[in-house]
Amino acid sequence: MSVKSYLKPQSVTDALIMAKTHANYLYFAGGTDIQVYLKQQLIKPDHIIDLSDIGELQNIASNDENISIGSMTTLDAISKNNSIYKDFPLIVEAAQSIGTPVIRKTATVGGNILVNNRCNFYNQSFGWRQAIGSCLRDVGDLCQVTKTSGKCFSRNVSDLAAALFCLDAKVIISNQNEGLELSIVDLYNQDGIDFHKHLDHDGILTKIILPIDAGSTWFKKLRIRNTLDFSSLTIAAKVYDNRNFRIGLNGVSMSPVLITGNLDMIDLEGIKSLARKSCKTVDNDMMPLKYRREMIDVYLDQWWVSIQK
Amino acid sequence: MIKVTLNINDFDRTLLVEPDENLLYTLRERLLLTGTKKGCDQASCGTCTVLMDKKPILSCITPTLRCEGKSIHTIESVAKNGKLHPIQDQLVKHGGLQCGFCTPGFVMTSIEFLEENKNPTESEIKEALSGNLCRCTGYKKIIEAVKAASEDMK
Repeated sequence: MSVKSYLKPQSVTDALIMAKTHANYLYFAGGTDIQVYLKQQLIKPDHIIDLSDIGELQNIASNDENISIGSMTTLDAISKNNSIYKDFPLIVEAAQSIGTPVIRKTATVGGNILVNNRCNFYNQSFGWRQAIGSCLRDVGDLCQVTKTSGKCFSRNVSDLAAALFCLDAKVIISNQNEGLELSIVDLYNQDGIDFHKHLDHDGILTKIILPIDAGSTWFKKLRIRNTLDFSSLTIAAKVYDNRNFRIGLNGVSMSPVLITGNLDMIDLEGIKSLARKSCKTVDNDMMPLKYRREMIDVYLDQWWVSIQK
Repeated sequence: MIKVTLNINDFDRTLLVEPDENLLYTLRERLLLTGTKKGCDQASCGTCTVLMDKKPILSCITPTLRCEGKSIHTIESVAKNGKLHPIQDQLVKHGGLQCGFCTPGFVMTSIEFLEENKNPTESEIKEALSGNLCRCTGYKKIIEAVKAASEDMK
């Protein structure tokens, strides 16, 4: 057993103090994914800071302009919230596509937004990884996917992130400094190892703010089974009343991808071309690379048909 | 080791656990409640499902120390006074088990589901049980048993 202590702060302030006074700590949200990382020895923290007792992170509040969701709200809770269901059916659809009904009772919004990137050659048992040898994110200096030492292309698989990208959501981070509010788009790096930004100084993602804005939304997720599996491709899209659109793609690149434009200024082929250029898709998923690339076009075709109705 | 008091099946149990110990290990190895099974041990099969404050959780990924102050119920608490729970009863009647390894998980998941949904459709049952794997019976008889249990529980 490598973990020395399990800490349960009652407030964000407590959590930040604990983070400051404990080296090599790990914030623990729902833990449905990170527990597997611990079992597979992909991460080895000395201290676990469990955020599940912090009530202020579990609130959902709404006014005429926006809805704010605490980062420790479970996926099950947001699926059953009337305000979110009414104004953001896309969020409900995305949340219900994650994990299984039982996992969604524990897994949190913040945990999904900050889910670790995945790769077929990284998310494996310790013995499996030892047998295969080098991985840029684990040990060694050679990527098993690209057979180079250049860059890690592990995939971001947050379904909520794709949805939040196209809803133009903001996130609030508390840290040892003043904290900050930023667009969710700025939370991610196009990097398979260092995949999140702005979480330094012991940063905790505390809140997600969704602006209420009219428009039609669309969501589709590709995975081997229609339950449990992480995304092989997620596309969420929103078309506003002025025909502006925002499309969030995930599961096919190191970070979620955002495509924006106006339907009067670009056609379907133009959008597909933008998607192909923006996604750094490599062969690191159970589904074949060629199929996943083709499915981006297929899903965009389906979205296009849906908005013509 | 850390001292912790857990309420398991309506009894308080005080014991020493490791900081990163999961509830499945505590139940099986420290409290010898071996009805809760260790399957995949990575949140994929559902056979370790127990109830925490009446909601199903996967004990293999739940830290034991998170359970302090919560009420935990395992499969051992489901049958009362020698009488099977309607879900257990219908699983037997429908032949919804062969080796029985996955059965505790199916029962615990179904209990909460049927408490929340008194009149479930087949597709709702399939969705609710989608995190539970069975490798021998197949799912048809299990789904039929849960549907029949929903009638018994009305």
